[in-house]
Amino acid sequence: MSDPIIRRIVALFATVAAILVVVAVVALRNISRATASNDWVNQTHAAILELGTLRGSFQASDAALRTLLVTGSEQDEAACREASAALLENLEVLRALLRSDRASAPALERLDALAEDRAKLTRDALAARRAAQPDRIRSLVLADTAAGSTAEVRRVVEKLKTEQMALLAARDGEAYLQAQTTRWTVGTGVALNFLLLGLAGWLVRDDVRARRRATEVLREANDLLETRVRERTAELAKANEVLRAENLERAWGSQALEHQLRYNELIVNSISDLVFVLTKAQNISRLNPAVTHVTGFETKELVNRPLQSLVRLGGAARPAGFDPLTQALREGREYREADAYVQDRSGRETPVSFMLFPLRDRDRVVGGVVILRTRDAGA
Amino acid sequence: MAVAVLLAPGPASALTLQELLAEKELTPKKFASRFADFEYEFAADVLPADVFLQRRKGDCDDYAVLAGHVLRHHRQTPRLIHVRMVGRVAHAVCYVTESKAYLDYNNRKYAINVERCGPSLRDIATQVAESFKANWTSVSEFTYSYEEDRKRFGVTVVKTDPPANDPDRNPPPAKAPR
Repeated sequence: MSDPIIRRIVALFATVAAILVVVAVVALRNISRATASNDWVNQTHAAILELGTLRGSFQASDAALRTLLVTGSEQDEAACREASAALLENLEVLRALLRSDRASAPALERLDALAEDRAKLTRDALAARRAAQPDRIRSLVLADTAAGSTAEVRRVVEKLKTEQMALLAARDGEAYLQAQTTRWTVGTGVALNFLLLGLAGWLVRDDVRARRRATEVLREANDLLETRVRERTAELAKANEVLRAENLERAWGSQALEHQLRYNELIVNSISDLVFVLTKAQNISRLNPAVTHVTGFETKELVNRPLQSLVRLGGAARPAGFDPLTQALREGREYREADAYVQDRSGRETPVSFMLFPLRDRDRVVGGVVILRTRDAGA
Repeated sequence: MAVAVLLAPGPASALTLQELLAEKELTPKKFASRFADFEYEFAADVLPADVFLQRRKGDCDDYAVLAGHVLRHHRQTPRLIHVRMVGRVAHAVCYVTESKAYLDYNNRKYAINVERCGPSLRDIATQVAESFKANWTSVSEFTYSYEEDRKRFGVTVVKTDPPANDPDRNPPPAKAPR
């Protein structure tokens, strides 16, 4: 969910789902309303039909009564009763159907009264027929005709019918509008959802394009990096080649130097005189094999030892504290002494002639070389 | 549906009103099973019971009225109901209070020959109309006696009225007889 595009798409789908829910709820509510409107339309139709039936029943009742009064048969009397009952039944159903329509109440009351009059007329006429009073029957029928009850029933029924027709038109219009609302709701919801789905698709496509672009840029960067790495590697290889050549030259130089050193060492070692290399503090740093041969000391026993522990200068007496070797080294000059002694491992001294040569490095005395020549060898 | 037809009891023969009245422990279901092989024939008037039984033909009125007559004799409490539907002839059924179900001539052939239903006129009308896949507009309760040969209508419920105002839930004050 950290990816913004995923958040956007999830939000879009949530909106689509919410719209679907709203559309479904509104559509269901509209369907319920449409069903209710349909019920009202049906009820109004039923009322109109019942009005027609009522008018017919009234006429049938009137006709049955007049037929009975003419024929006087039992069959017609039953038909007359049946017509009256049917009239009352119609009126009862009509009253129920128009119960909620307060505007029709006066007309219904009038129809009730007319039906009651009709029932009373029937009862009175039958009683007069049973009592064999034809004049009474005639006067009842004439009075009814004069009252114009049948015409009034027709008029009241037509009035009610007209009202119901108007109501029917209004209810049908309402049902039509509800159906239209449902169509609009569903249509708008579907269109909106398609729009949102299109937007989600566009976002996905846009994101895929951006990702492709990023991949392309990354690939190009990788290519550039690889090129640079190749170039750098080539440079390094070249430098390595140069270094290798330099190393080879250096190795050759080192070998030449080593060879020179060994040669020098061979020269020094081949000398029969005792050769010491001293530090500036007159400690022995190197010596040749003639020293070990004459003194019996091993090289490692003599290295770092002071030369004075092995060699003693003879000759003329010197002032106390005066060291001719230190003096010579400080001044950077040679020193020779014919009368000197070198001590061997057993403490026996061998007479030697002493020669000190200062060692220079760029005009600076860094040590010295002492050569001792046995007098016998020199003789 | 086919299974229900197969499970339905076989045709009854030589059925008379006396037999129905004399039959012990006659339940609405048993009553309905006696009419499984009856045929439908519409008539404007209610047929006398013996004529209906002898001809083995009739309509919903004949069946409901006969059911009411017989079941009342068997100490049950039948109610005759008249359901008016859109574009159709009104349909009559006989609701039996003890069974909480109604007998419908259209259901006589099936194993389930009584329909369980609530006692209010609105419930009955709704279920009857559903069986027709139709809308009802009004429903009335009526009585009928073979002797008088006349339907007397009682309370009528209209579909569009609020159910709380239905007369069978709130009986109106008794009218003075006309």
